[in-house]
Amino acid sequence: MNRTILHIDMNAFFASVEQAANPALQGKPIAVVGSGGRTIVTTSSYEARAFGVKTGMAVWEAKRCCPSLILVIGDNRKYQHTSTQIMEIFRDYTPEVEVFSIDEAWMDVTGSINLFGSAENIAYQIKARIRHQFNITCSIGIAPNKLLSKLASDMQKPDGLTVISPEDVGRIMERMPVGALCGIGKNTVRQLKIMGINTCGELGRCDEGRLTRRFGIIGRRLMQMGRGKDGSAVIPFGEEDEVKSVGHSSTLEQDIDNPQEIRRFLLQLSEMVGSRARRYNVSGKTVTLYVRYADFFTSFGKQTTLKNYINLSDEIYKTALSILDSVELEQPVRLMGVRLSNLKQQAAQLPLFEDERKKLFATQAMDKVNSKFGSMSVTFGSLLPGKEKGGSHVIAPAWRPSGIRNVDVK
Amino acid sequence: MEPIREPVRVAAVFAPGRQIRPVWFDWQNRKYTIHETTYCWKGRSGEAMLLHFSVSDGSSLFELIYNTIEQSWMLGGVEA
Repeated sequence: MNRTILHIDMNAFFASVEQAANPALQGKPIAVVGSGGRTIVTTSSYEARAFGVKTGMAVWEAKRCCPSLILVIGDNRKYQHTSTQIMEIFRDYTPEVEVFSIDEAWMDVTGSINLFGSAENIAYQIKARIRHQFNITCSIGIAPNKLLSKLASDMQKPDGLTVISPEDVGRIMERMPVGALCGIGKNTVRQLKIMGINTCGELGRCDEGRLTRRFGIIGRRLMQMGRGKDGSAVIPFGEEDEVKSVGHSSTLEQDIDNPQEIRRFLLQLSEMVGSRARRYNVSGKTVTLYVRYADFFTSFGKQTTLKNYINLSDEIYKTALSILDSVELEQPVRLMGVRLSNLKQQAAQLPLFEDERKKLFATQAMDKVNSKFGSMSVTFGSLLPGKEKGGSHVIAPAWRPSGIRNVDVK
Repeated sequence: MEPIREPVRVAAVFAPGRQIRPVWFDWQNRKYTIHETTYCWKGRSGEAMLLHFSVSDGSSLFELIYNTIEQSWMLGGVEA
């Protein structure tokens, strides 16, 4: 039986939400930026894109492309709420909804078509409900698998609906550039080009052995992708693989080189990681520290694995600090990230020694207060506002509507 | 939007189906009549559910926040 998969992609999501919330911004070039003073463009409206403004551009660069660009400081809670509500709409049509990121999802509607008439009907209903409820648009792709439905949704933007039926696959793939496929990045495109492969048609006809020699085990997968084949299932929320890490990173409002301020920021990140790990009862053995320097292009990431599992903030901090102390910082710091991985579900166990027990009870009390009054209501004294506080919080691609991946970013 | 975060007096209609529609609010000795609610979203601060309303009086945009635990209203910000 042929599957029918929908891929829904919200158009310029954050910018569209801001334009819907503030009618004065409608039809104008806007860019959503982080709360820090010198951040990059998170997303821009289609009006701004017409001037060449792109996601990831520095603000000054975007302003140079479009002098009339309006900068809007993003409100992540607004986007998270809107995304969660939209995902709920999808679940009215099928339980098989895979959230790909805050503004993208797949739906397997194979079993729902009899109820709603056709996949196109479902798509039109979804588009109408999103427009009615939030005054924003989306592009939808309908195809026999996830790969092609994502490709289809990218083909008409904004507000598009594209259907790739099984009999059209060969014709569409023949001239499609390989870089248009989800999962084929710039590096792979470059390597394929060296092999004389530019289109999906050429990729699909390429000798499997040749691809495997170049790309290893993914060679076969690349060939299948070139043919428009993808057997991967739509994995509903809650049935995904277990979360492998808990992490936070943040760009500072200004570059810092004072060791005391760097340590304080590290403690803040460690507390954010620790409190989320404890909320979901996981602890981890590996701590990773990531630093990006002031020049934006140089960075390093280093990790250390402990003998014991940890999730107390001060233990995460001490481990991250030992990593930091083992390197010499080449430049002032622009961004820092702390990640706890190698996770296991934590079984409650009281420490043997009194000092350790006291520390655990104090942490539990602190977590309880914070869960009642909001994160960081009670925190370490050394985290009282400083020069490095704040930073710009970005919704990670791994964000999900609930559970451990639901990061509460301001 | 310029952050304000001041408690304000708000008149709102609590309609069936858990619909809340702010009608007017007082701020700095002036009454603002709400012409349109442009957007609503929910957030959390600890246990408290915060309901955010983007509202317009026809010339400016305001953000009103209703704290469902304290049952209090706050003017979150204003965009002149």
